[in-house]
Amino acid sequence: MKTIYGAVLAGAMAMGASVAQAADDVTLQLKWVTQAQFGGYYVALDKGFYEEEGLNVTIKPGGPDVAPAQVIAGGGADVVLDWMPSALASREKGLDLVNIAQPFKSSGMMLTCRKDSGIATPADFKGKTLGVWFGGNEYPFLSWMNKLGYSTDGGEDGVTVLKQGFNVDPILNGQADCVSTMTYNEYWQIIDAGLTPEELVVFKYEDQGVATLEDGIYVIGSNLEDPAFVDKMERFVRASMKGWKWAEENPDDAAMIVLDNDATGAQTEKHQTRMMREIAKLTAGSNGALDVADYERTVQSLLSGGSDPVITKAPEGAYTLAITDKALN
Amino acid sequence: MMAWVFGSLVFWLAAWALNARLSRLSATWVRFFVPTLFGVTVIVVWEGMVRGFGVNPVLLPAPSAIAATFVGEIPTLWGDLVQTFFKGALSGYVIGCTAGVLTAIAVDRSPFLQRGLLPVGNFVAALPIVGMAPILVMWFGFGWQSKAAVVVVMVFFPMLVNAVEGLQASESMQRDLMRTYAATPGQGLRKLRLPAAMPFIFNGLKICTTLALIGAIVAEFFGSPIKGMGFRISTEVGRLALDMVWAEIVVAAIVGSAFYGAVALAERVVTFWHPSQRG
Amino acid sequence: MKSFLSILTVVAALIAFWYAACVPMNIHEAAIQAQRAGVDVTPAEAPERRKTGRISLALQNTGLWSTVFTQERPQLPAPHQVAQEFWKTTWGMIERGRAFSKRSLILHGWITLSATLLGFAFGTALGIVLAVSIVHSRAMDMSVMPWIIASQTVPILAIAPMIVVVLAALSVDDIVAKGVISMYLSFFPVVVGMVKGLRSPDAMQMDQMKTWNATRTETLWKLRLPSSAPYLFASLKVGVAASLIGAVVAELSLSSNGGLGARLLAGSYYGQTVQIWSALFAAAALAAVLVWAIGVAQKITLKRMGFAQ
Repeated sequence: MKTIYGAVLAGAMAMGASVAQAADDVTLQLKWVTQAQFGGYYVALDKGFYEEEGLNVTIKPGGPDVAPAQVIAGGGADVVLDWMPSALASREKGLDLVNIAQPFKSSGMMLTCRKDSGIATPADFKGKTLGVWFGGNEYPFLSWMNKLGYSTDGGEDGVTVLKQGFNVDPILNGQADCVSTMTYNEYWQIIDAGLTPEELVVFKYEDQGVATLEDGIYVIGSNLEDPAFVDKMERFVRASMKGWKWAEENPDDAAMIVLDNDATGAQTEKHQTRMMREIAKLTAGSNGALDVADYERTVQSLLSGGSDPVITKAPEGAYTLAITDKALN
Repeated sequence: MMAWVFGSLVFWLAAWALNARLSRLSATWVRFFVPTLFGVTVIVVWEGMVRGFGVNPVLLPAPSAIAATFVGEIPTLWGDLVQTFFKGALSGYVIGCTAGVLTAIAVDRSPFLQRGLLPVGNFVAALPIVGMAPILVMWFGFGWQSKAAVVVVMVFFPMLVNAVEGLQASESMQRDLMRTYAATPGQGLRKLRLPAAMPFIFNGLKICTTLALIGAIVAEFFGSPIKGMGFRISTEVGRLALDMVWAEIVVAAIVGSAFYGAVALAERVVTFWHPSQRG
Repeated sequence: MKSFLSILTVVAALIAFWYAACVPMNIHEAAIQAQRAGVDVTPAEAPERRKTGRISLALQNTGLWSTVFTQERPQLPAPHQVAQEFWKTTWGMIERGRAFSKRSLILHGWITLSATLLGFAFGTALGIVLAVSIVHSRAMDMSVMPWIIASQTVPILAIAPMIVVVLAALSVDDIVAKGVISMYLSFFPVVVGMVKGLRSPDAMQMDQMKTWNATRTETLWKLRLPSSAPYLFASLKVGVAASLIGAVVAELSLSSNGGLGARLLAGSYYGQTVQIWSALFAAAALAAVLVWAIGVAQKITLKRMGFAQ
């Protein structure tokens, strides 16, 4: 009974609190758990950049079973972070996701392999076992495999694909020859686990020419017809980019801010500081506006998927530059 | 649009009235018709609500869309079923249940061990299996072996508990009779105690059928090759293809119930003498 | 007390087996680390070592056995490692006055417990309501009972994310979403047990109520419900354990708010096996405590109601 009373009381207080606020409410759904990958937003929250713009922002961390596109479709968030391939695929499925800003200029995705599995170039992938996460992150990988001409069904002429779990164990205990890693996260987990860079060979998607745009800010297109919403988003983007630039210049402090906001208590300072520094390399070069050339490259990469392309036709209205034009000038 | 909602509600009321009438009869066909009509009504109301309220298909697809996907993707669904059920769940089920029965027989002669094993077993059975699954995938790899291992862990203790109870189910008069026949403990086991334990063992086997399939699917969430029901469900959620997810759920429900039914049928054949089988 | 010695023996045997199992399970990692430190390992080449089985590798490198019990990221943590981590995150936190910090298992245990109790309350209420209607209406009995059984064949882990998203869209609190998922798992044993219990009064007792001209409601309150008390408590024990598992599963989809499930996920995500094991044991201990609490309630209630125990 006490738990129910407590829940009702908490709910009533929350309602009261939200009525008392004069600022605009924005709910942001992250793509993964609280980590330095989203440092800019936590910095903007902590340092009051959102408050300065008159916004009351709630940041919802994601996780393995949270699909940001689903959350925004269900009305659980006003704005989400997603990778462009996944957003374009959702768009084709009928969900009107529109990119309003692109803080991440470069891709951090790479395939990390053990040198002792005999892999030195992508030509050596044949017959090997490669790991990749799914849940929206598999599209760049599948496009790459299609470009190289390898079927993903296994066998001598193709590659065997494993659905990686949430950690890098498959490469550590030899179950996979290669695993998908991000420059800022899983690669360092492998190094922490004891493998040295000399024992590994990495293939960065940027270097292989198959990079796609990653963390971008997306909203539902129909909401953009409401001028009040557009104004809210302009302020949100402006404050978020301020947060990102602050994080780029002060990575260690930004990492501490992220740690303070981690509800699970599982992140470590070492890991987050390193992650923040790596993320700063990916956001450098972008002021938040989407570079249309990058967008076209991503679309081409996804369309050229051979027999099983990620998207079947070029998307229309998948991005808008109107918000960043207003917010950043 | 609201016509769909009203239409489905009217259907629901009519079906309810029909079921209420029919339930007074006791013909065999009625026993199958009533739950089937109930199920059909749920589907009709679901379809009506989704169409009438215009629910986004990435949140909840309509049953007609699920059916279309089901029919269109039968090869994928079958491949997933072979991977998860036949390779993972079934092998784990056989190993786990056999191990449970054998352990029960082994500790049968020692009440001392039994008194210690059961409380410890209850504690181990309380470990949430979703926590064990990543550990077992780490140990046994990504193939069907780790799924079978998860199933073994899930079914071992319920089977053990039921088998131990079953071995004690024979009456003392019956056991004394065996003594008067100068039966060795082994003969007593084979001729009296095991057959007497069968109702309990089958009770355990039935409980373990649902645990086996769910265990295999849960294990696949934590790492698998790119086929299998758990894999399909978790990745299609990420791709917002909820109709495929529901199609897999339908397969799981059908196969799970069929598995349970098969074991119940075997129970009828083996324990035909037990009061519960006399209807 | 008689069983205390038995339990102790079995637990001691299990712990001994656990320590022994640490050797083959952790030997590969120990070999890698030893080689980095310059110690001789057989076989010396990494690819060859990967192909060697765990037991043969352990037998070839008896010198490394002592190192398998203190690894940072072991495949199988030793019992004392799990105990240390458990202690550090429970009593250790209390000592430092940070019992409810985000790294404390007590906080996470409380979060899971509150979701479990909420789901347990929902599930019990739903189960009793369904059982009463099944016993009183043949239409409900014939149409709903088979579907209730079929509902348990659907893997909850598949539906949990969808339930979370739909409830979030309806602006429902997260804890209620977790409660709904727990309810799904815990209502089934309650329904099955209560149906059996509500039908347990024998024909003589039912006839007695008839001679007193009792209505169906009076029969329900004065005869059926009291007779079902033993069955109810047995089902509540199963139901509370199921509710805990439901809360942990729900936390895999809602890990932002902490809880033992979120802790499990974080540990598995970062390869912190010791964290996973200590969270697992915390969950099992929580289940044991809840079941024990219901057992105590059962003893007291049934004794007062006059059931011979």
